[in-house]
Formats: sequence, C-alpha cells, structure tokens
Amino acid sequence: MTGPGISWYVALSGALFGIGALGVLLRRSPLIVLLSLEIMLNAANLTLIAFARHHGGADGQIFALAVMAVAASEVVVGLGLIVAIARGRLELDVDKLNFLKG
Amino acid sequence: MTAGAWICLLSPLAGCLAITLAGGRISRRTAGIVATLSVFVAFAGALVSFAALAGKDAEERAQLSTAWTWLSAGGFDVGLSLLVDPLAAVMMLIVSGVGGLIVWYSIGYMAGDEEERRYFAYMAFFVFSMLLLVQAGNFLLLLVGWGLVGLASYLLIGFWHERPQAVAAAKKAFVMNVVGDATMALAFFVLIQQTGTLDFAGAFAGAEGLSSTTVNLVALGLLGGAVAKSAQLPLHTWLPDAMEGPTPVSALIHAATMVTAGVYLIVRAHPVFELAPDVQDLAAGLGAATLLAAGLVALVQTDIKRVIAYSTMSQIGYMFLGAGLGAYGGGMFHLMTHAFFKALLFMGAGLVIHHLAGEQDMRRMGGLRKAMPRTSLAFLVGSLALVGIPPLSGFWSKDAILASALASGGYGRVLFVAGLAGAFLTGLYTFRMLFLVFWGEPSGLVAEHADGHGHGEGPRSMTVPVGILTVLAAVGGLLEVPGLWHVFGDWLHPVAEPLVEPSTGQDYLTSVLAVSLGLAGIWVAWLVYAARRRTVPHAPFLRRLLEHKLYFDELYDALFYRPAVGLARFWRGAVEQPLIDGSIAGVALGAREAGAAVGRAQTGFLRSYVLAIAVSAAILLVVFVSVK
Repeated sequence: MTGPGISWYVALSGALFGIGALGVLLRRSPLIVLLSLEIMLNAANLTLIAFARHHGGADGQIFALAVMAVAASEVVVGLGLIVAIARGRLELDVDKLNFLKG
Repeated sequence: MTAGAWICLLSPLAGCLAITLAGGRISRRTAGIVATLSVFVAFAGALVSFAALAGKDAEERAQLSTAWTWLSAGGFDVGLSLLVDPLAAVMMLIVSGVGGLIVWYSIGYMAGDEEERRYFAYMAFFVFSMLLLVQAGNFLLLLVGWGLVGLASYLLIGFWHERPQAVAAAKKAFVMNVVGDATMALAFFVLIQQTGTLDFAGAFAGAEGLSSTTVNLVALGLLGGAVAKSAQLPLHTWLPDAMEGPTPVSALIHAATMVTAGVYLIVRAHPVFELAPDVQDLAAGLGAATLLAAGLVALVQTDIKRVIAYSTMSQIGYMFLGAGLGAYGGGMFHLMTHAFFKALLFMGAGLVIHHLAGEQDMRRMGGLRKAMPRTSLAFLVGSLALVGIPPLSGFWSKDAILASALASGGYGRVLFVAGLAGAFLTGLYTFRMLFLVFWGEPSGLVAEHADGHGHGEGPRSMTVPVGILTVLAAVGGLLEVPGLWHVFGDWLHPVAEPLVEPSTGQDYLTSVLAVSLGLAGIWVAWLVYAARRRTVPHAPFLRRLLEHKLYFDELYDALFYRPAVGLARFWRGAVEQPLIDGSIAGVALGAREAGAAVGRAQTGFLRSYVLAIAVSAAILLVVFVSVK
C-alpha cells in the first residue's frame, strides 16, 4: 500500500470533526449548523474508509456508504425544516427557536 | 321432522340478522315485512314438526336432534340439541303463530316511528330466543334462551330510550329477571354436581336418586327462575312497569309468550317438581296469592295497559296454580288460550291507543263503542274469554285448572276457593275497563279524535291480526270439552302425565260456580261503571293500599335499594375517595411535578445540548481509556 500512513488520515479526520463540532456549537444559522453536521459525518466516514484500507477489509467501506445514505436523508429533512421555518417567517437563528424548552 | 324444528328456530334469527345488516338500505316497511315473514316461516316450520309428530305413535313423539357437541369437560358434555316433543311443539306453534300475528300488527302500529328497523330486528330476535327456550334439548340451552328472552325484553321495554321511565322500567325488568336466572343457574350447578348431566332425560333420571334436601334445592332454584320470569309474587313488580314499551311488545312478550315461560319450565321439569311436593305446593300457593293480589290491584289502575298487565299476572297465577297441583294439561291449555285472548286484548288496547294518539288513561276515554265498533266487538270477545264465559276459550281452560284444584282435595280446596274469588275479580276489573273505555257517552278526548285520522279503526295490518285472534280467542277452547273429548290433554299426556284427573261432575260443578262468579263480577261492574247506579264504596285505607300496589315497590325500596345506596355511599366516603381516588390523584401529581423538575433542563438552546453531548462523550472516552 502506497500513500500517506494511517495516522495522517486520522489526524485529518480529527481536524474535520473538530471544525464541524465547533461549527455546530458556535454558529447560529441552522443552515450552517446542518453543514457542520455534514462535515462531522464525513470526518467519521473518512476514518471508516481509512481503517478499512488499512486492514484490507471491505466492511468499513460498506458502512461508509450507509452513513452517506443516512446523511443524505438527514439533509433532506433538515432542509425541509429550514424551508418550513423560513416560510413561517420565523427568524433563522437556532438560539431563538426555543419553543420546546421545558 | 327435525329440519322443520331447525327452520323454525333459525328463521327469525336470519330475519333479525338480515334487518340488522341491511341497515338503512331497506325501507322501514320492508324491515317490518322481513320480520313478519321470518316469523311466519318459523310458524310453517313448527307446523311441519307438529304434523310429523302427530303422525307417530304417542310413545315415539320425542325427537332429540343434536347439531354438535357444544361444551365438553371430562365426563360432562352438553350438545347444541333441540328436543321436539308434544310440549315443545305446542309452545312452538303458540310462539311463532301468535308472534307472527303480533309482528304483523306492529307494521301498522309502529309506522312512522323513528327507529322501526331496530324495533323489528329486536322482535325477530325475541322470537328466536323464545323458540330456543322452548325447543332446547337440555337445561343449559334452555337457560341460554331464558337469558336471551330477558335481554330481548329489556331491549324492547326500553325501546323508546329517550323516555326516562322506559329506561328505568327496562332496568327494573332486567334486574328482577336476573334474580331468577341466578337461582336457576344455582339449581343447574347442583344438578351438574349431583347427576353429572343437564340433559332432560338424564337429569330427571338422576334426580330420583338424590336426597330430598337436594331435590328441594333444585326445585326451589327452578321455581325462582319461573317466578321471576312469569312475574309472580314476590318477583312481580317489573311487569306493570314493563308497559312502558310499545303495545305490541306488551302483547307478545308480556302477555302471550315470555311471561308464560315459567309455566312451561314447571311443566318441562315436572319430574323434579314431583320429587319435591313441598315446592310444588309452594308454586301453586304463589300462583293463588298472585292471582288474588293482581286481581285486586287491577281494580284501581287507571292506565288501560296496566289493567291488562295485572290481569296477565293474575292469569299466570292460575297457570301456576294448575302446574303446581300437577294439572299440567290444564296449565298449558290456559297458557295457550291466554296467549290468544290476552294478545287480543293488548292489541285491541293498542288500536284504542293508536286511535287516541297515544292516550292510555282510561279516565279520559269513554263511549268508544260508536267510533270503533269492530274494535269494541273484538275487545268484548277477549274480555268474555278472559272472564271465562262459555263457550269462549278462557272458560274451558280456567275451569280445567279449577276443577283439578277441587279434585286434589285438602290444600287444593283452599286454592280452589282462591281461584273462584279470582274469577269474580276478573269479571269485575275486566268489565270495569271495558265499560270505562267503550261504554257511556264519548268523552271530550274521544269526540276530538272521532273523525280526525280518516283511517277508520286502524290500518289493515293491524285489524286483520286482531280479527284472526278474535276468532282464535272465541273457538280456541273447544279443543278440550269436559266429558266429551280431551284433545289437548291427550296430546300432552306422554310428556307430562297429570297428577289429578277431575271427574266430569267436578268439572260441571266448577263451571257453574266459576261462571256465576264471573257473571257476578260483570254485573257489579255494570252497576258501578255502566249504569252508574252504585258508587265505589269509600274505603280510603284499602284504596291507598291498592293504588300503591300493596306497597311492594316501597318494601323493596326500603329493603334492598336504600341499604345498597347507603352502603355504597359509606364505601365511597370511607374507601373510594381517600384511598382509590387519593392514590390516583397522588400518582398524577407526582408525575406532573417530576416532569416539571426534569423539564427545566430543556433550555431550548441547541448549543447547550450539543455541549452536553460533547462533554459526556469526552468523559466516556476518558473513562474507557483509563479503565483499560
């Protein structure tokens, strides 16, 4: 196997996950929060594929495909919610969308 | 032959189901026609069975037809079986024949009611239940029919469910009947335990080997059921209230068929009763007491249907008297003629009520003879048959019972005197009713309705059945003429051999006495209510006693209803509210408070949730790593 070692992949994945997590934590636009979530999911995907290649097995790759399918569905639902919020003329700010607090 | 019996049983059920399933898709009139036809098909089935029976030798006239084994537990099994024997055949003919006429009559009587389809489905259901009762081949199936007729009676008494009195009357009838059902069920438990079977033949054979206490218990339980269903003292108070139902229901259920089921039961189970002579005497005594009490109370009733209801109780008293003394043929014969003339009287009363747009108070009636000549003639025939004036049907059957009472001597003599007194009362209350309603000058109400409707005395579907019943009430008694022939008694002989056989001399003596007392009753009624030459004697105490129906309702109210309500109140205050309600309220309150406490963690800020997840994940990571 040629190319960078497994540690590079893990490092990149960790960086992407951190960026995504910070995005979820810090940004207030629901659209950006959703994007950040996607970044976190893809960081996980990257790790799965990297280890699959490292071990020479295919199951990690299959798992990554499943994660992509879930991610795509999640984006559909999330974007639908955002459009519905926009139609309802509500402010697109996750801090103000707090009707469900106890 | 058994095919006829099965058709007889199942046809009304099919009619009931067809009306129920068709719902709003068929017109109300069609529902009535379907119900009538299904009952007449049952009558045809009964005729086929009857003809097949009549073609056999007297000893072979009993056929048991088992469709399948219904219940089986160890050595005990019960089949879904029908028994067709002379007794069942007579009852089948009465139930389906008179029932068919009354359902037919209902088409006219109920026309224009909001829920006719429901009414006809109930009526067909009742006829099915009653046929199941009389055709049942074992005690358990009999109990099923017994319970189902109670249900049908409940549904039909409360048919006008928007009237509170009707609902209360239905409830009362159901509760009183269930008392009887329960005692019967207890008797059956004893029978199962002691004899191991509920088949008629097996149970009767097994009962012979039992101790007298056990047999007495079984007979008492059966008698309890019979007394409740047939509205005899002391479980009679539901029948007058049951008049809240539509009049054809009163005619079918509360005069012609269901209330006579008790007599049928005594005759059917006569081997058990014969082993318990004390209970037999009790049955006869209760019958005599009821016929007197009901006859007295009928004297002061003002509602035309209630008079007939009390008269029904009184006549069933005669049947109990006969069946209790072992005059099974006489009791059953009176059951049959009573079905004719009492259904006739109720349907005549129905024509009057129909004509007067729902009025039932006799004090507001009078002089209807001119407006309704044919109805008054039919009513007169029914009344004369009820009083027992020869040659109308009631004369032959009532005298058969009374002659048997005379012939059984001793205790029977006492009952005989009670029966004679009852004959006088019958003449008095029947003709009081007749004179108040049909004689005299037309009252204001009658004049008002004199020409209002333009349909004469009623639609044809009402007048034709009344006409047929008039003929039956007139000639139905000729099946049995003392000294000449005993068609009816001979027919029943193989099933229930009578314990007493009055001599022809006793028959004639009874006839003379009973007829003259009946005529005396009519004469007194004539003096007071038609000729108005005498007034009712002033006896406030007696009057109040009778108007309160001998205080039975008040007694039961004080004995059962009030203590039950008091006890319920006590338990409600002492247990239900503090313990049960309290604990449930406590659980609810606790859940709500816990929810409020946990709910405070839900801030609604997305990032705080994310942070919580991240921190928890980090802690878990540290824990996993460090533990490893």
